[in-house]
Amino acid sequence: MSRKRKLMKVYPIEENCISCRYCEVACTMVHSESKDPVKAYKLENLLPRATVEVKEAVSLSLMCRHCKHPFCFDACISGAIMVDENGKVNLDEEKCVGCWNCVLVCPFGAAHPMIREEKRHSFKCDLCGDRGFPACVEACPNRALIYDFER
Amino acid sequence: MRYVIVGNSAAAVGCITGIRKVDPDGEIVVISYEDRCYSKPMIADVLVDIPEEKLLYRDSSFFEENGVETILGHKAVSINRKNKVVALDSNELVPYDKLLIATGGKPFVPPIEGSDKKGVFTFTELHSAISFKNYLKENGAEEVIVIGSGFIGLEVAYFLREIGVNVRVVELLDRVLARALDRRGSEIVENMLREKGVEFIFNDTVEEIMGDEKVSSVRLKSGSVLRADAVVVAIGVRPNTELAQTAGVEINKGISVSDTMETSVPDIFAAGDCIECTDIVDGQKKPIPLFPLAFEQGFIAGLNMAGKNMEYLGGLVLNSLKFLPVPVLNAGVVEPTDDSCEVFVNDKFEKKGFYRKAIVKNGKLIGFIAIGEIDRTGILTNLIRQKIDVSNVKERLVELDFGLVDLPQWWREEKLKQDKTAYKDWRAF
Repeated sequence: MSRKRKLMKVYPIEENCISCRYCEVACTMVHSESKDPVKAYKLENLLPRATVEVKEAVSLSLMCRHCKHPFCFDACISGAIMVDENGKVNLDEEKCVGCWNCVLVCPFGAAHPMIREEKRHSFKCDLCGDRGFPACVEACPNRALIYDFER
Repeated sequence: MRYVIVGNSAAAVGCITGIRKVDPDGEIVVISYEDRCYSKPMIADVLVDIPEEKLLYRDSSFFEENGVETILGHKAVSINRKNKVVALDSNELVPYDKLLIATGGKPFVPPIEGSDKKGVFTFTELHSAISFKNYLKENGAEEVIVIGSGFIGLEVAYFLREIGVNVRVVELLDRVLARALDRRGSEIVENMLREKGVEFIFNDTVEEIMGDEKVSSVRLKSGSVLRADAVVVAIGVRPNTELAQTAGVEINKGISVSDTMETSVPDIFAAGDCIECTDIVDGQKKPIPLFPLAFEQGFIAGLNMAGKNMEYLGGLVLNSLKFLPVPVLNAGVVEPTDDSCEVFVNDKFEKKGFYRKAIVKNGKLIGFIAIGEIDRTGILTNLIRQKIDVSNVKERLVELDFGLVDLPQWWREEKLKQDKTAYKDWRAF
């Protein structure tokens, strides 16, 4: 067999989620140029890679699961989606041509379309690659998101 | 172990990926008559001068890193199943232990008088797309006739307008994408193309392509004659089974394969547009020539060729119109298949720019359309794939905020908490 995966992922705990959306704000901010939560939304037109879902008493924050079998990787026609040796699923927004196949096949709805006049590509959670620790987990006030080794 | 793959597109790359998951050392040889591993769904983009490197699906580093030997520019012409060798057009013989046939599809060209004239093109290979583009330039083409209003035909028509060429699309049926979308979806797509300047002629077909050496006009069944500086035939693709036939493998509508992607001949596997696969939605075997399925089938074939036993989940129709400013997606069926189906529609296209439709049968989602707003529709695709009961949330399926909170709690427990996201974990219940 090929080498074993060694990956840390963000795991949501829906029992703890209070739908405060701090994770969404933190995500948008760290992925922005300005690093400012308001400017990121208003001026940079950015969207969060974490999605808070609410239905009655249930809520949870959801982002790319870096699936053991990523259907998005199968479906990507441009080669923008690649899986590294640890199993992390990366999406190269520059290489992406916006075919939306990943949006169509992600069982979690975690690959999102960015449809702007000047920019058409998919985007998703990158586990805060350069940052070292996911901002959403850091921002969560109620331990509804944890950063843990792959289960 | 020596693996040989004939073909160099989605299924081939999937196969290499699958083999290397299991066997890091075995020899892998890829044979292709084409010169590079480019993205087939992107070839129409050459009309709008997409940079060549963007067309590459996998560059040479992928093949180097995976230790793959490539034999490019040579066609595999026959398979000798007894001696386990593939013969090339150069007369070279390539021996294999396990073989993957990933020869893809070939364009269907109906018998139209004059279709052998210069200026008549199909659109499934990069080579033909480039020739078409050059032909347009060299002949100063101003008027092009596209036969067929499927995905390829419409994309070519759209890009031709983008570069200022006049296009008429001739369609035998009464609307565009009639086999992929419902009537409302077709109408939305047709309007977008008309705004772009594409003209349509429905309920008609080209009976004769006229001209001396080169095409100059076409005659329709209805009798009218239209100027045509070039013609694109985009009626559909059929499985390319020529090579498979030489090995005597069982072929129905496409190459027949088992759940492990093995053909009727031992050690010969097949994947991609050349096969017929089981449609999850109706259980029927049929060719579903789509990129994501080809990759996945190739991947599963690769695992099995390398000795890991893994069954294919089955295919389903997955379409995305990538060239329009407004995204158009659909999966599974788009019309009720019988009276027991329930149809849910959320049509806010005129005011808010989106259209959603879902078809439910026996409490299970069997298909949907999403136009305009497409975020998170993969959740719906998985409901089709896993045949999850949606009786309690069926009205919600067409809402834009439909999410995992609408799914059963046990599903979230399994997928999120236990992280059951390996291939076998996505089987239908």
